Amino acid sequence: MANEKDKAAIKEAVKRKKREHYVPVVPDTQLGFIHNNVDCIGCRACEIACKDKNGLPPGPRFRRVQYVEGGTYPEVFAYKINMSCNHCAEPACLPTCPTGAIFKRKKDGIVDIDSTLCIGCRRCEAACPFGAPQYNAETNTVVKCNMCVDEIDAGRKPYCVMACMMRVLDIGPIDQLRAGTYETKARGANDEVVRQVRNMADPELTNPSIVFVPHSKGKVG
Amino acid sequence: MTRRASTEPFDTNPLSGALPLSRRRLLELAAAGSAAGLLPLGGTNEAKAFAYEPYPKDDELETVVTSCAHNCGSRHMLVAHKKGDVIVRLSTDDGRYQKDGFFGKDTEEEPQVRACLRGRSYRARLYSAERLLYPMMRVGPRGEGKFKRVSWDEALTFVANKMVELKTKYGPQAILDQSYAGASYGVLHKSDQIEGLLARFLGMFGCRTSSWSVPSYQATTFSSRMTFGTIEDGNEDDAFAHSKLIIMWGWNPAYTFHGGNTFYYMRMAKQRGCKFVLVDPQYTDSAAAYDAWWIPIKPNTDAAMMAAMAHVIFSENLHNQDFINRFVLGMDQGTMPDWAKGKENFKDYILGTYDKTPKTPEWAEPICGVKADDIRKLARMYAGTKPAALKASWAPGRNAYGEQYNRMAAALQSMTGNIGVLGGCAEGVGKAFHSEAVAYPYDQYANVWYASIKSDRWAHCVLNYPNVKREEVGLWPRQDNLDGVIPNIKGIFWQGSDWFNQLTNINKEIEAIKKLELVVCMDSTITPSGIWADVLLPIATHFERHDVALPWYKGHYYIHRPKVIQPLGESKSDFQVFTELAYRLGFGPAFNPKANRDYFHIDDNVDEAYLREWWEGRVMGNAAHPVTMGWEEFKKRGIYKFHLHEPHVAFKDQIEKGIPFQTASGRIEIFSTQLAQITDWTKTQYGYEIPYIPKWIEPWESLNSPKTAQFPFHLISPHPRWRTHSIFNNIPWLRETFEQEVTLNAADAAKLGVKTGDVVELYNDRGRVVVPVYATERCMPGVAVLHEGAWMDLDKNGVDRAGNPDFLTLDEPSPAGAFAYNTVLCAIRKTTLEHKPGWDQLATSRSHVFRRDL
Repeated sequence: MANEKDKAAIKEAVKRKKREHYVPVVPDTQLGFIHNNVDCIGCRACEIACKDKNGLPPGPRFRRVQYVEGGTYPEVFAYKINMSCNHCAEPACLPTCPTGAIFKRKKDGIVDIDSTLCIGCRRCEAACPFGAPQYNAETNTVVKCNMCVDEIDAGRKPYCVMACMMRVLDIGPIDQLRAGTYETKARGANDEVVRQVRNMADPELTNPSIVFVPHSKGKVG
Repeated sequence: MTRRASTEPFDTNPLSGALPLSRRRLLELAAAGSAAGLLPLGGTNEAKAFAYEPYPKDDELETVVTSCAHNCGSRHMLVAHKKGDVIVRLSTDDGRYQKDGFFGKDTEEEPQVRACLRGRSYRARLYSAERLLYPMMRVGPRGEGKFKRVSWDEALTFVANKMVELKTKYGPQAILDQSYAGASYGVLHKSDQIEGLLARFLGMFGCRTSSWSVPSYQATTFSSRMTFGTIEDGNEDDAFAHSKLIIMWGWNPAYTFHGGNTFYYMRMAKQRGCKFVLVDPQYTDSAAAYDAWWIPIKPNTDAAMMAAMAHVIFSENLHNQDFINRFVLGMDQGTMPDWAKGKENFKDYILGTYDKTPKTPEWAEPICGVKADDIRKLARMYAGTKPAALKASWAPGRNAYGEQYNRMAAALQSMTGNIGVLGGCAEGVGKAFHSEAVAYPYDQYANVWYASIKSDRWAHCVLNYPNVKREEVGLWPRQDNLDGVIPNIKGIFWQGSDWFNQLTNINKEIEAIKKLELVVCMDSTITPSGIWADVLLPIATHFERHDVALPWYKGHYYIHRPKVIQPLGESKSDFQVFTELAYRLGFGPAFNPKANRDYFHIDDNVDEAYLREWWEGRVMGNAAHPVTMGWEEFKKRGIYKFHLHEPHVAFKDQIEKGIPFQTASGRIEIFSTQLAQITDWTKTQYGYEIPYIPKWIEPWESLNSPKTAQFPFHLISPHPRWRTHSIFNNIPWLRETFEQEVTLNAADAAKLGVKTGDVVELYNDRGRVVVPVYATERCMPGVAVLHEGAWMDLDKNGVDRAGNPDFLTLDEPSPAGAFAYNTVLCAIRKTTLEHKPGWDQLATSRSHVFRRDL
């Protein structure tokens, strides 16, 4: 795959990139995710929908439903944390990219990778605290969730959200999601939302665009 | 019929404003024109995602509504996005396709029917390396897996000649029908024991032994028939939203989904204050999502715990005597029929009037491993909460005497008056809203059989013929001279079933299949059963033939299933194959009256004619729920959703209007008039006595039996989420999300010296399987959980490296016919043997690290 790339364009991109000092794009509206950790049954329809949408081979998993469990028999608990790319306000991946392939959209804050410019160096993969960018050996590029920009631009929601059988995963303007003013089935009438759950990287690092309805055992602080 | 998705009603950038689109906003946008709200693109580097063109967007592709097609009881919408004759991707219902639909419409009355992970992976199965594309015939010994490609003519000539030979030599019972709903639940192309195409084909040919017991739920089929006189004892999925208490007894809807939007309506119930209880050896994902009170119970002891609950309810006078008096037969002395006044009634049994053993919580505690106080608490909770749904699911019935558990549950449901009321539950089988479901000729030739046996006794029958007693194989009685004649089975047809991999005691099946003279496998992919076939016939998937789908379990809608793409390779529909075979055997026109022999090559017009006639006649003319949408409009939209003015609740009319139940007495028969009058049990299909009131009967092996000294673990094999039984085991996407592994309690694992990921061997007298361990606190000690359906993969010593639990199960069904899948003791030890998760070399990967006590 790398051989087919326009090497001159990549060289140009590297040169341009070196001259730039990265200032995070401030989007007009930052879109983000909301996930209900408790009501999620962990079925992974979202994951498979994502695989199909993006035509992924076994290996990269843009969306990952993580199972958390604890307690001692018979007093046990379990919940799910569902994450893909958090389309951070200050994405850690973006400045690491030597070719400037990673970019953040002005209109909605979606962080995306221009795969024509990606050289598969995997620096972004190392930088991301959430494991969003993943290496696809077949194409020698790093790939990740782009919130289905094509669907967003067509006025719809990403495949994962539209796949959710329990309606516990949704997107919306992140400020409204945080304020609880956004109408979504992911949050119940009495549910509070949080920016961070246990064992998740400190949101101060990158300001991820995601909120959760946490499990009582998953609350931080 | 295809339709192009229109983007016109949608704003090109609705997320800049209010999301989700409200109906009003949508109309505003539509009025303002589709470009309204579009923001200027910001930045200079607005490269496209996946800039490697061509990346076809959905709206550049052709959109065809269809559905998933496997045997899970659900049926959800799939929307194929195709280019030319290739499906590029699949999406699901987003509210746009139904009448008066729009993007995002998802109401309580008309929820979207969103496909699960299995449905979403269909494209990978359609184009999988395992697809059968050409007819093939065996060249090596049976089971070696060596085949050569042959023409359709050669394959069908062989099959037809062999069929005639078997029928002539061995009589009208020589061919065993092992069709099942694996590949197809459509109204036209259908594989099934009763309504299936194979049943009609073999019946018309005049040589068929049928398999009468249903692997999934025969215990509850029996129970519901005896108790209510019907298996349609289910409420629709939306009724669950109205319960105040839901007891999930062995029920894990987070895995099985169980029709329509059951799992989602239960979330609504939770948000409305419903409490949940789970009685199960495992703390399932359902327990977690619905925040249930988990009561771990020893497998196979459910009926004992229920009896103790009945004791609490009777002795504390919590039962609904008025309901019992009006609707129930044999609950107590006052409700016994006159002719049976002297017989034991249910209350007598519970209080121990005759056997001097009151079924108290203290009596049940050592049997079930559940504290007496917890039994008492649950009984009071169930009797005191109105309405309450005791959902007695199928798994605890897949046991020795599993029918007693289901009958006992029906007793609890009726003594508390939770039958026929919204928010209550009489399930059971749970089959709910009944729609028209058969579009092919279902006539006097359908389901003709000359012998019918308990489905998992075929190997026993073959191996011991002719020294087999009728009760050993559960021979169904007949009114003619074939009554009691043991079938000399010499051939098997698999249509859309992988039964060789899925029935009990596979090692015994392997011995039996060697004795057969004809084994035919009709499927879309190679399967573990197919490996053992003589002839492999490639069958078109539901994307490649015309049909209509509906859920057989819960959910009230029809989904159109057009021929989305042309059949791959030389594959044909089952109906085409049977029609061509019927022509070769001399009954072609009778078998498929709308077709001529060209049907084998061109099926479109005939299938269309069957479906149109069915829709316009039976569906639109249905007396109870007539559909007004015409066939052409249905085809254009792809889905029809019924509007029920209130959630369908089983037996509502019986309770509210006093219509008799469909039993002999017209009442809920806790005392079964039918069973009470049987004198010679060997002449019944059951073969062995079944008590006429529900009773706790000790299973032949359990954690309470002495055999645990040798085999200390009780193995249960529930349905996995990442397969439909065995279908989808070959899908890499699914296989990387879950593993075939044995779940053990962490303390048990420590005793065995193993931790999560270590490979162990499970074994008993019947077989050996190799799997990795998942050690957790979420499983009851002494219990091992291994999901059914892994594709068997034998090493040279006959050890199954894939971890298929049916190498350990016993082919000894319960009297009522229930498969005893969950009545298995085994031992476990660490091993150096290799585990092979699939036939390919794909490594399965755990997606995440299990973290304990963060």
